[in-house]
Amino acid sequence: MREDRGPWYLLTGLVLGAFLGLMYAWLVQPTQYTDTKPASLRADFKDRYRALIASAYMSNGDLVRARARLELLQDEDLYRMLSEQAQRTLAEGASIQEARALGMLAVALGQPPPTVAAPQQAAATQAPITPTLEAPVLTPTVTSIPGETVGISETIVNTEIVSATLPAASSTPGAPNRTPRPSATPTSEPSPQPTPSPTPGAPFALQSEELVCDPSLDEALIQVMVYDAAEQGVPGVEVIVTWDGGENHFYTGLKPEMGLGYADFLMTADTVYTLRLAEGGQPIPNLTPTECETADGARQMGTWLLIFAQP
Amino acid sequence: MSRWIRFLLALMIGAMGGLFYGWVISPVEYIDTTPDSLKIDYKSDYVLMVAEAYSVEKDLLAAVQRLGLLGGVPEENVRQAVLFAEREGFLDSDVALMKALQSALASWNPALETPLP
Repeated sequence: MREDRGPWYLLTGLVLGAFLGLMYAWLVQPTQYTDTKPASLRADFKDRYRALIASAYMSNGDLVRARARLELLQDEDLYRMLSEQAQRTLAEGASIQEARALGMLAVALGQPPPTVAAPQQAAATQAPITPTLEAPVLTPTVTSIPGETVGISETIVNTEIVSATLPAASSTPGAPNRTPRPSATPTSEPSPQPTPSPTPGAPFALQSEELVCDPSLDEALIQVMVYDAAEQGVPGVEVIVTWDGGENHFYTGLKPEMGLGYADFLMTADTVYTLRLAEGGQPIPNLTPTECETADGARQMGTWLLIFAQP
Repeated sequence: MSRWIRFLLALMIGAMGGLFYGWVISPVEYIDTTPDSLKIDYKSDYVLMVAEAYSVEKDLLAAVQRLGLLGGVPEENVRQAVLFAEREGFLDSDVALMKALQSALASWNPALETPLP
């Protein structure tokens, strides 16, 4: 009688054992989420982490540190992630300062890293370490009032040469890298002629004002393009348009397909507009819907294209 | 060998199989975690970032909101970060920023903050 049961009890034992093993692993001693890394954060937390990195960058201007922190998130494309988040922040109507910080950091990261040759005498006295140089950050100081020709005096505020290699956070094997810090001994002298980099707060000046007759755009638009010194579009720049009895504020970067520094405004017939950037600079008056002639001779409404750039 | 012993052996093999599957073949992947689970290194750097931003923005409410992401009490998070920073030899200037934030938090009264609309 007992022999008729066959080996099924063994299979029952296996299944029951597997079940108990999984229950132990999942319920009795579940996984403890401790000592995790920023890369494992949920997407929305990563966004807030990224925004804080940008805010800290706006405070200290330390691009090496900002880059090291961003790399902890293990994004595939730092520039794209920052740009997209800046645009998303603007589109959601969240903090303009945050969007601007993200945009400025994206722009800073988007620049090719400058390579500066170390002076011979410095190299001869240093340890045989290949110096990794970071461009000194220049802080422009506006020396004239907005609305007039702006003069900039450059002050080198970060001439310490920092090593791109991050020191270990602790002696614990596998411990994450700590915040990058300048090496105790500069590995080289700063360049006597540092390459300027776009700095938060630098003014934008009107580079060109043109009536464009684009057959694909039969609307009376004001198109604004804002570029930094490296000729990259800057998102989050506030543009103010005023007219008789009205005012409108809008921001660059809300149409990413047109570029990070792009914004536009639809004009109404028989209205004269004045445009300026909120950060200062000269106002652009007498912008009004104007007819133009396309290449094939057709008449249509033209588009005012205004290009601003950091000097 | 009795049937019970063989049954228990099968049970153990099955349990080992379950553990092997859960820990080796399909181990836990750390995704979608929350900032409160970050390692102390990263938490400290997070606090430093908050302190860096605060040093310029001077917006304590924003700093508290940012610290809130770490869970727990903001003051305690900053205190732990300062201790870690001092122990691990952060730059003096960084530690100073964190201490400035710590001091500001110590005298912060949430009741005096203007409520958001």
